[in-house]
Amino acid sequence: MSSNGKFTGGSLLFNVLQEHGVKHVFGYPGGAIMPIYDALYDSEVEHFLCRHEQGAAFSAIGYARASGKVGVCFATSGPGATNLITGLADALADSIPVVAITGQVPTVAMGSDAFQEIDVFGLSLACTKHSFQVKDVSELGEVLHQAFEIATSGRPGPVLVDIPKDIQVAEAQPLHAVKAVQFERDQTKADLTQAQALLASAQKPVLYVGGGVGMSEAVPELRAFMKTCKMPSVATLKGLGSIDKDDPAYLGMLGMHGTKAANLAVQQCDLLIAVGARFDDRVTGKLAKFAPNAKVIHLEIDPAEIHKRRFADASVLGDIKVNLPPLAMPLSIDDWYAHCLAMKADYGWRYDHPGDSIYAPSVLKQISDVMPSNTVVTTDVGQHQMWAAQHMEFDHPSNWLTSGSMGTMGFGLPAAIGAQVSRPLDPIVAVTGDGSFMMNVQEMSTIKRFQLPVKILLIDNAKLGMVRQWQDLFFQGRLSETDLSDNPDFTMLANAFDIKAKTITDKNEVNDAVAEMFAHQGPYLLHVKIDAEDNVWPLVPPETANDKMMEKGK
Amino acid sequence: MNQHTLKITASDQPTVLERLLQVSRYRGFTVTGMTMFPSNESKQLDIELSVASEQPVANLEKQLNKLFDILDVNVENKETQQCRA
Repeated sequence: MSSNGKFTGGSLLFNVLQEHGVKHVFGYPGGAIMPIYDALYDSEVEHFLCRHEQGAAFSAIGYARASGKVGVCFATSGPGATNLITGLADALADSIPVVAITGQVPTVAMGSDAFQEIDVFGLSLACTKHSFQVKDVSELGEVLHQAFEIATSGRPGPVLVDIPKDIQVAEAQPLHAVKAVQFERDQTKADLTQAQALLASAQKPVLYVGGGVGMSEAVPELRAFMKTCKMPSVATLKGLGSIDKDDPAYLGMLGMHGTKAANLAVQQCDLLIAVGARFDDRVTGKLAKFAPNAKVIHLEIDPAEIHKRRFADASVLGDIKVNLPPLAMPLSIDDWYAHCLAMKADYGWRYDHPGDSIYAPSVLKQISDVMPSNTVVTTDVGQHQMWAAQHMEFDHPSNWLTSGSMGTMGFGLPAAIGAQVSRPLDPIVAVTGDGSFMMNVQEMSTIKRFQLPVKILLIDNAKLGMVRQWQDLFFQGRLSETDLSDNPDFTMLANAFDIKAKTITDKNEVNDAVAEMFAHQGPYLLHVKIDAEDNVWPLVPPETANDKMMEKGK
Repeated sequence: MNQHTLKITASDQPTVLERLLQVSRYRGFTVTGMTMFPSNESKQLDIELSVASEQPVANLEKQLNKLFDILDVNVENKETQQCRA
């Protein structure tokens, strides 16, 4: 019901949200979305006020990724809507189901360059799976249902619904006039004949696991498949957590900052089984030299990804959860399996680091070892992100939230907020860097308001570290605009938001500080100062084959 | 450059053309001609789209097929036609 006692378009929105089981939304009000916020006033849906619309979008993404549900965010027209755009781009690039609702100026004012008017529909074309602009209140219920269906079906993605202010206040028909649809998975089984033949004859197969496995809820099927096949495996950044971390032949992440064993195994294999992965450029390095001896089986839900960057000798189109189990078969690959185990042992991580300063990979490994298995780790983007991907382990991909394809700095803190809202009893750790943290630092206000017990691990090298590393390696050390030595006092900053904080600079302080962070009941910021010169290794330089990686001290 | 003509059936939505053109451009196809026939009875549009690109036309066909408002895509001349400059 709205403030005038009528059942309006705004009321209908909350009806539909509840019909889809939405309990939490993230947003920021403004002029053109006021009738929706008026209807929110009486709604059972809980709204989390973020302090920037980009924060609301990332919180919706974090919520969706940690829970497997649809994330919902609200913004007003004009600048509110444009502030959502980066979040929508991130959700599209990582295939995350998000429904974004924007207010729009009234239909009579549209196209007149009205106050806070922007053509958000036009803006959305490149950064949503689909978008709607509602011009008649009679279409609103149906459109909102379609938005949820499109966001979750097939390869998921963000959907934007732009609702002009007069549609929000117009009298509407309550929900019973609108069909609530139960969406069903497509159970169609693909033809596996070719894939089975390739797998049966492979001498040196590798399983290459991407984000699609977690998104199709196929982690149990994947692990069962691996128990039968017993083959070496690697994961993409988004696929981390899918493979059983204790599987002896799991070689870790592949690609630009992948492990040496993972990259060498893929380069040497004769069959690559890509499951919910898309041969991204950060995975393949120089595409023409990627897995040069391998035939490819590609299991994928999006037809447009088949043959897009790498020809698939056998393509299996459809739901991985349906198609992976019947492909399982015992393999006789003992020599290859032993070779991969030997590479894993030979090229394992080393944590020795001279001097008293703190080595970030050690801290992340230590946290990974002590954190409960239901912990959700979010990251921002840069060196800390790659260190976390390399040195932390997860039991499930929904416990690892990182901006993969878009690589959006500012993702980690609001994503952690969304994750904490969706999983209030689980520990949430936002691993961030001093550059990224400042990009959505205002969201500490959201943490304060809702007393969310998010733990922030801020790895601070007073640099825009990854760009600095590249400037050192590939731009003759010309350090252009990567110095952040005038960062604020981060503990004081956290304290200003009533967040307990501590700074550590010496490796002897790490144990106690990590214990204190996890023991603290509320939000906590652990500020870890590290050497500015520490680099992420290994690194496959741009346009280089993945076996030609640069390594520490070489 | 390879020339192709696509016959497309789409929902009669005011936004469908923008979406079609955005995807064609982003995926590396230059639109060299377009004709649209609205069909009021079925609320569908028949669109004939001519494109030129170095990319395989299947890339565009598959991306267009993913669009919610695009109901059917047929590539008329699947065989590559070379442009004569």
